[in-house]
Amino acid sequence: MTDVVRRGVRPSRIAIYGVLLLACLVYLIPLIIMLITSFKTPMDIRSSNLLALPTDWTTIGWTKAWAEACTGVQCEGVKGFFWNSFKMAVPAVLISTLLGAFNGYVLSKWKFRGADLMFGMLLFGCFVPFQVVLLPMAQTLGMLGMANTTPGLVLVHVTYGVAFTTLFFRNYYVAIPDALIKAARLDGAGFFTIFFRILLPMSTPIIMVSLIWQFTQIWNDFLFGVVFSSGESQPITVALNNLVNTSTGVKEYNVDMAAAMIAALPTLVVYIVAGKYFIRGLTAGSEKG
Amino acid sequence: MSQLELRDIRKTYPGAHDETLKGINIDVASGEFLTLVGPSGCGKSTLMSSIAGLEAITGGSMVVNGVDISAMEPRDRDIAMVFQSYALYPTKSVRENIAFGLKIRGMPKDDIEREVERVADLLQISPLLDKKPARLSGGQQQRVAMGRALARRPKIYLFDEPLSNLDAKLRVEMRTEIKKLHQRLKTTVVYVTHDQIEAMTLADRIAVLKDGELQQLGTPKEVYDTPENLFVAGFIGSPSMSFIELEIERSEAGLSVTVEGSDGRKLSLPVPDYLANWVGKRVILGIRPEHISQPDNIKSEHSLVASGSLTVEVTEPTGPDIIAVIRLNGIDVHCRLDAEHPVNWGEDAELMFDMNKVVFFDPATEKRIRPN
Ligand SMILES: Nc1ncnc2c1ncn2[C@@H]1O[C@H](COP(=O)(O)OP(=O)(O)OP(=O)(O)O)[C@@H](O)[C@H]1O
Ligand SMILES: [Mg+2]
Repeated sequence: MTDVVRRGVRPSRIAIYGVLLLACLVYLIPLIIMLITSFKTPMDIRSSNLLALPTDWTTIGWTKAWAEACTGVQCEGVKGFFWNSFKMAVPAVLISTLLGAFNGYVLSKWKFRGADLMFGMLLFGCFVPFQVVLLPMAQTLGMLGMANTTPGLVLVHVTYGVAFTTLFFRNYYVAIPDALIKAARLDGAGFFTIFFRILLPMSTPIIMVSLIWQFTQIWNDFLFGVVFSSGESQPITVALNNLVNTSTGVKEYNVDMAAAMIAALPTLVVYIVAGKYFIRGLTAGSEKG
Repeated sequence: MSQLELRDIRKTYPGAHDETLKGINIDVASGEFLTLVGPSGCGKSTLMSSIAGLEAITGGSMVVNGVDISAMEPRDRDIAMVFQSYALYPTKSVRENIAFGLKIRGMPKDDIEREVERVADLLQISPLLDKKPARLSGGQQQRVAMGRALARRPKIYLFDEPLSNLDAKLRVEMRTEIKKLHQRLKTTVVYVTHDQIEAMTLADRIAVLKDGELQQLGTPKEVYDTPENLFVAGFIGSPSMSFIELEIERSEAGLSVTVEGSDGRKLSLPVPDYLANWVGKRVILGIRPEHISQPDNIKSEHSLVASGSLTVEVTEPTGPDIIAVIRLNGIDVHCRLDAEHPVNWGEDAELMFDMNKVVFFDPATEKRIRPN
């Protein structure tokens, strides 16, 4: 028996690792090229191979992208828009996650007449394409006087995201035994106490899922950003587009790449940091308390 | 003094076609241990949830110490419940689990501390106080669940099959412990169980439920010896009572019935005089395993005792005794035989029928025919 295990390096293994490695490469090469290019000088880019390392490393692309590059008429880099995205994404992610958790709680543990129908209709919201809601959304924002503002964009993302977050939390809470809620009610806990003191502390894994999902969706969104914001309040995805499309003289690929990296960095960080908590959350029950 | 009065409790779930509880009337005395038994789906949990206030009743009323609690919120009823699944808060330590209800009710910190210590001592869970429920064994979780109920010192405790998730040995241990605890604390308890023995050993009185209707309410002995109807007779006791439909006959010696063994041998069994009105009519004889045994000299002198030789079809040794199956009038009948005098299946055995404690039912109403 042990021999079989020790022999280990069977052809099938090699094949599996080979394929995985290949897949990794395919996905990583664009990132590597972006990274390398962002640290090159424009001269270097034109004269050297795409995959070659920079002859002399420079951060000029990054500083330019951050503070000097032109995104349309003004030339102040992407930093303003980077913060715009945060101002939009953080509240939108938090609000939609909290609302989703709350909806999920009501739809699974305080079932009212028509709760399932309502959940079905909410689910439908997950399948509505962005384009369909553009016009009604624009009208609504106009009526609310929130057109072209960051709060307006937050509202759009919350509205759209709640369908997903509700789905996450509702399905998570359905699996939690009703007896827990009953026990809490007998202990004297009310509607909100049960939610905040019993259910929410049990929800770490699904909160992480919701945060990661929502942050990625909202940060990476372009369509809502380009339609419902203008000038000062645009998110970074829109600014990146403008930066790349602004043609004044020679194309500065290092700046483009650096700007793209800056735009992608937060979602990367969220995956690296929160992904770890996500796994930890999933296994929390088996750890020593 | 009755502490909990259930008056014609009715419950129909929203959208459900049938009534789940069809007018339940039970008075539970202060300090009484009432067990609730009945087949799956008969409404035991529904009744418990209704008492606790977790489900709204659709008719009737509930009175605790003279106060109508029917419309009160669960938290105001001062009733604690232990669930089959324990329902411990997974993110809280044992200490926090027990303290949660006290905290919500605004008890001062020091008092909570003292109360948790008291309960932990009582249930011997002090070393577990800082652990999370997931780290505990089933039996330990069970104790914590009871601790949480005890901490609030409620007027009434509800247990919904609290031991059914434990293995057999632990279940017996916890059963004894619950009994001791009850004798010590003299609390009022309503206890649901599937387990015959649990019901019999723990209860001051047993309530037998079927299809949302109360079938019988009485002490374990009453329910066992004088079941009101066929259902209760068949439900209580293990192996269960055997039922044979036959005709009451009159002979010079008195009233009797005739049973026929598998090989056609006939045996006449004497029956009590109160069946005089039933001569020539059919009745259902209910006979428990212990009513059929090997002949013993003392008993066979008594009236209403008869003996005969019958073929044993199956034997099931249980340790202290052997459960043997014989066939009477084409029906399998269980007998409880002494393990000291082994019988073999397929062979004849001399068996003694003690007809003093057997019961008879009216086939039409399925109610027991009362001696009077
Ligand atoms: N929330 C509910 N909505 C609708 N019907 C229900 C609900 N809960 C229980 N019922 C129905 O009510 C009846 C009684 O259920 P209940 O859970 O009280 O039975 P029980 O006696 O506790 O059974 P068990 O021994 O299996 O626990 C069942 O027919 C069940 O289907
Ligand atoms: Mg039940």
